[in-house]
Amino acid sequence: MRFSKERILTTHAGSLSRPADLIEMSRARSAGERKDDAAYARCLSAAVSDVVRRQHELGIDIPDDGEFGKPMAANYDYGAWWNYAFARMDGFSPAESVPESGHKKSSVAELALTSYGNRRDWQTFGEFYQDPESSGALLGSAARRRGRRPVCTGPVKYVGQAAIAADIANLKRALAAAGVEEGFMCSVGPGSFARGEDLHYKTEEEFVYAAADAMREEYKAIVDAGIVLQIDDPSLPDNWDMINPEPPLAEFKKFERVRIEALNHALRGLPQDRIRYHICWGSWHGPHTTDIPLHDIVDLVLSVNAGAYSVEAGNVRHEHEWRVWEQTKLPAGKLLIPGVVSHATNIVEHPQVVADRILRYARIVGRENVIAGTDCGLGGRIHPQIAWAKLATLAEGARLASRELWGQSSGGRTAR
Amino acid sequence: MKRSVERILTTHVGSLPRPNDLIALYRDDAPDDRLLPRLQSAIADVVRRQAQSGIDVVNDGEFGKAMRRAVDYGAWWSYVYDRLAGFELREERAKEGRAAWTFGSKERREFAEFYAEEASAGQSGSAGGAAAPSATSSARMYGLTCTSPVKYTGHAVIRRDIENLTSALAGTSVQEAFMTAVSPATLQILPNKHYKTREDYTWALAEAIREEYKAIVDAGFILQIDDPALVDIYDWWFSLDGDIDGYRKWAAFQVEAVNHALDGLPEERVRFHICWGSWHGPHNGDVPLRSIVDLLLKVKAQAYSIEAGNVRHEHEWKVWNDTKLPAGKLLIPGFVSHATNVLEHPELVADRIVRFAKVVGRENVIAGTDCGLGGRVHPQIAWAKLAALAEGARLASKQLWS
Repeated sequence: MRFSKERILTTHAGSLSRPADLIEMSRARSAGERKDDAAYARCLSAAVSDVVRRQHELGIDIPDDGEFGKPMAANYDYGAWWNYAFARMDGFSPAESVPESGHKKSSVAELALTSYGNRRDWQTFGEFYQDPESSGALLGSAARRRGRRPVCTGPVKYVGQAAIAADIANLKRALAAAGVEEGFMCSVGPGSFARGEDLHYKTEEEFVYAAADAMREEYKAIVDAGIVLQIDDPSLPDNWDMINPEPPLAEFKKFERVRIEALNHALRGLPQDRIRYHICWGSWHGPHTTDIPLHDIVDLVLSVNAGAYSVEAGNVRHEHEWRVWEQTKLPAGKLLIPGVVSHATNIVEHPQVVADRILRYARIVGRENVIAGTDCGLGGRIHPQIAWAKLATLAEGARLASRELWGQSSGGRTAR
Repeated sequence: MKRSVERILTTHVGSLPRPNDLIALYRDDAPDDRLLPRLQSAIADVVRRQAQSGIDVVNDGEFGKAMRRAVDYGAWWSYVYDRLAGFELREERAKEGRAAWTFGSKERREFAEFYAEEASAGQSGSAGGAAAPSATSSARMYGLTCTSPVKYTGHAVIRRDIENLTSALAGTSVQEAFMTAVSPATLQILPNKHYKTREDYTWALAEAIREEYKAIVDAGFILQIDDPALVDIYDWWFSLDGDIDGYRKWAAFQVEAVNHALDGLPEERVRFHICWGSWHGPHNGDVPLRSIVDLLLKVKAQAYSIEAGNVRHEHEWKVWNDTKLPAGKLLIPGFVSHATNVLEHPELVADRIVRFAKVVGRENVIAGTDCGLGGRVHPQIAWAKLAALAEGARLASKQLWS
């Protein structure tokens, strides 16, 4: 992976705004109206070429395919980053065929992830989450429309070989055409994928490890293709809020350690310096009062066998957490990708705000170890015009910070 | 005006969430015998709740300013609809909607698709809002045009608001309260067909609204003048041409006008609020604070309330490194904001407060909000933000007075 050797490099968390024609095609396919595979493949490939070029032109150094291979059937959709994986797996049945499990109550003896409506933040701010006029209800209404996710009813097996091969081919072609040396591709972490309902495996641990073995195929395909692999694993911090009532921290960490070990099992033998690990506290526009402090889980984060860590730092619940890195040393040779622009507000970050945030990190962990990123994916979470403006301000802020850190000569690549 | 002598005091910008039944009474144009008792009890509740939430300098939540739906960004100025004579609705202008006011906005051209979606989604600016925009308070002002001499006619209403706040404060431990009133610069956004020049028009507006200012100060309350126009008119009128000079000329005159309206009122009973407009848009056309701060400080107020808690203006605390806050003046920066549903972490609030305190002196900082929270974020979030503000002020006080 590239380090910020001469200036602060830029990247983002993965999801970008899909073009209208791709969304319409995905919608028609998911509604069963149309199933023209060849036309969809052409549309996807062209869209990936465009989105890579656009990132490059805006000054994003390490672009991805915008996660366009992970279908989004509506303009606003917060779940494509893991819903895509169900279509690439055997062992799942449509939820309608399986009775719904209700609120899973947790105990110290056995932690359990509850349903969305029973999350602690959702309970505390129930009126807000159920108000159709508040934007935080967006996730709720989108989820209601989508219905429940498929349920595991048999052995989990990865069957997405063709889909990931197409994603890789699209991204490689686009990177070559744009003349970009390094690109990344997202893939869901086993702990985050195996959060759905499971009727097949005896224990959660078995389910998570089965997901790890299955997802490893995708991880390996991405790395083997020479693309930086990003593991999307919001579940690590986010599960804290999904355990109701609040568990003791030590029990929670035990619960999470199983998932981290499963992830490391899936990553075995893959080169650390080709892997980045993304966590966030869930991207819905809610108050996030029950987010676990980074301080409490940073040791778990660093135990993932990755070379870079992408962490939310650009929203008002987590902005102050740069101080965590004063006490916790970032291991030598590792990169930090703090979110310095966020999906959490429609306001476009002032480039100076972006630069100030970058500088705070650079002064603690070393300028060469910081890549400027986003809190979470921007696609599907804010309006496309705002998403692109945020990437532009990210690049501009990185230029301002580079000038402070390396002097006038190292202003960074200018956007074309 | 109270200062942060022993700890960082807290306040907010004004608007707080109205209870649903009060919104319904306004929406239905309920007669006074139904509206007034509920208005009075709601103000008593909101004063008590602010005190319980740890807010030192409280207000009536602007409940006397009609809000007809839960999501509503315009009540802070649309209230003058019922308190100023000299205006009539012109249908041909009403059809233009907000565009009649924002004709020179570069941001609204650059983000046309976003703003088109915003218009169809009400004012929430996100895909979540779906209420009809025509129901907003600002929409009542569309087409409102000055066609005869401007005159303040709200004496009875402001007396009612003052009495409600006075009785709500009785029996609480609250030591200081404020009440908001709109600026001449904001009112002159409404088109003028009567006065020969914009200057004559603005002057007449200043004369008229002065009566409300005086009533508030005479009642012993802190007067807060709400003047978002002073900064957001750059985006609305001047940004398309990047005409900073024209904007500053306009703004300098507006400062004269508001000072005229404040003539003879004691500076230490006046605070002055600016913000760049509270809609959930990109705001990348906002004029920098640095371009206007010298003019701002000419306003004859003791305290200045300024956005500082959102990502477009958070870095502007540095402006105070080289612009000296005059002795005796106070800053009320926004440390929590309506701009995101995410709740500010108290430690972030404390970090922001300490930054300001180190530059202008701890006793000269009161912790505030970016803009009013009522109508702009969900009531549960609004109250949680005030609690986070108070908690952050406690953390900062511990650091600053340790």
